[in-house]
Amino acid sequence: MKLFKSLSVAAMAIALVTTSVSVAGAASSLSGKIVINGSSALLPLTLQAANEFKKLNPKVKISASAAGSVTGPQSVRKGIADIGAVDWDASTDVPGFKKFDGQVANKVAVIPFAAVVNKNVKSDSLTTKQLQDIFSGKVTNWKDVGGADADIIVVNRAFGSGTRVNFQMKALQGSDFLSKGSNYKEVKSSGDMKTAIETTPNAIGYIDLVYVTSSMKALQINGVAPSEANVINGTYKVWGYGYYMTKGKPEGAVKAFIEYIQSKKFQNGSLKKLKFIPISAIK
Amino acid sequence: MQLENTAQSTLVGTKSSSTELGGSIKAGSGKKFDRKNRLLFYNRFFKIACIASAAFVCLILFSILFFMFRTGILTFRDVSPMTFFFSSDWSPENESYGAFIFIFGTFALTLLTLLISVPLSVIIAVFLAEIAPKWMRNLLRPVLDLLVGIPSVVYGFLGMTILIPLLRDLTGTNMGDGILAAAIVLTIMVLPTISRISDDAISVVPRKYRDASYALGATRFQTIFKVIIPAARSGIMYAVILGMARAIGETMAVVMVIGNTPQLADALFKPTSVLTSNIVMQIANVPFDSTWNNALYMMGFLLLVISLLMIVIVRLFQRKGAQQ
Repeated sequence: MKLFKSLSVAAMAIALVTTSVSVAGAASSLSGKIVINGSSALLPLTLQAANEFKKLNPKVKISASAAGSVTGPQSVRKGIADIGAVDWDASTDVPGFKKFDGQVANKVAVIPFAAVVNKNVKSDSLTTKQLQDIFSGKVTNWKDVGGADADIIVVNRAFGSGTRVNFQMKALQGSDFLSKGSNYKEVKSSGDMKTAIETTPNAIGYIDLVYVTSSMKALQINGVAPSEANVINGTYKVWGYGYYMTKGKPEGAVKAFIEYIQSKKFQNGSLKKLKFIPISAIK
Repeated sequence: MQLENTAQSTLVGTKSSSTELGGSIKAGSGKKFDRKNRLLFYNRFFKIACIASAAFVCLILFSILFFMFRTGILTFRDVSPMTFFFSSDWSPENESYGAFIFIFGTFALTLLTLLISVPLSVIIAVFLAEIAPKWMRNLLRPVLDLLVGIPSVVYGFLGMTILIPLLRDLTGTNMGDGILAAAIVLTIMVLPTISRISDDAISVVPRKYRDASYALGATRFQTIFKVIIPAARSGIMYAVILGMARAIGETMAVVMVIGNTPQLADALFKPTSVLTSNIVMQIANVPFDSTWNNALYMMGFLLLVISLLMIVIVRLFQRKGAQQ
């Protein structure tokens, strides 16, 4: 009981520190049910936060699942979920998806992405223009972008993927993807992307930075290497926020949960361990 | 106890002559819910439970068909059937919903799979049933049975990590993804099914056919191809259609090796897409209640209809086989 009390005091303190609004009240007396659905990229983060949050607030029930990014805001609109996790700001229009009216986007994490190539590719760095040309199918041979004479294999995520939306907005600055061709294929998940890039010579694709392994090569974009430090110092532009969408302003347990995940303790602790970047790190 | 024994022996003794079960038991012990009424009640109750279970199965089948159809048919509010079935332009983000590529891809893939797998499986079946020594037969049959049980995602994963790089090295293509890779993976998947059922069909061909054939001076080769296989034809067709049904509905293994690009499968090594792989690639990412969503349901309904048709054909073959 004593431990419990001290924990709840700690939670209160966190809530007070991180938010200017001090209406969080006694966190331990919170009760309710939070249903979270949406992006699979954010699921590990959600699960970790849910576990910690449930220890502080035993009366709150949290159930989290993931399907695809767009199911997040859709479930919220239909009233199936209280929080829709999504890899883009679903309260605005993005390529391919209309905005969801009446939903509030709450930033929870920073997710960096990298353009990756198979190990056999000679190029180390591409410009935005070169990336646009490759992913739109204008350039089809590595020699045109300073590499060896070989066809470029473009590996893309399926339409609707959050990673795809972010890469298109940030790395390609909104330019279109090609959709056909004998050297083009689409994959279903980040895991499939990883396998495809690792095993296909001359392949180029893109992936969350945390998925980059030593058996593929992450490209510099406009001469800047994809790294956490470069995201924080503002030189590497290809990253996006992970969002929790809520119907209107979050209230009650949902609000407390979002505040917990935005708290300094969680952002600099568990969130960093899961290789996301804290939102406060971005200026 | 004594009473019960007597009652039981009466029951056993007159069972064959009575019209209804328990008809011979006399009521009259005084209790309202006596042994006879109890028995009648249980009989009736059990009958109702059985009928209800059977009805439940039918209900499930029809509600699946109904719900798929109900959502799928909404497609034709926004897309004409001509476009849906015969246009090969699938780009839902630009409101083009031509599913021809996927329908064609499904049939092309199934056909290619059967072209590779049927001759192989029949030869394996003939070997198992006619040629293999007994110890080998006893070893191979369980091995084939085990192969049937391997989850399809395992086949897909191996296809993606081993088969595709191998195809790339052998043929010099850039990617290796396409219907050939998918057909090879599916062949490995349906091979055990087709060969085991064909094996059973060949094994039950009466011994006298073989004896008669040999007595007429036929060689073993002639006996197998002119007598035994024709005699086992309906069983082999049954096996082929079961294999076909599995190939058409297979999703996980296919999606990992086919390339998932909406373009017509006019070459063996060209990334393409089939009904199943396209549904699983896109369904998680489409907005609810959109034409896109409905079109995917329509594609699912098509798959359902195709596989139901196959089952009907299988039943016809079974009946034909039984008549022979």
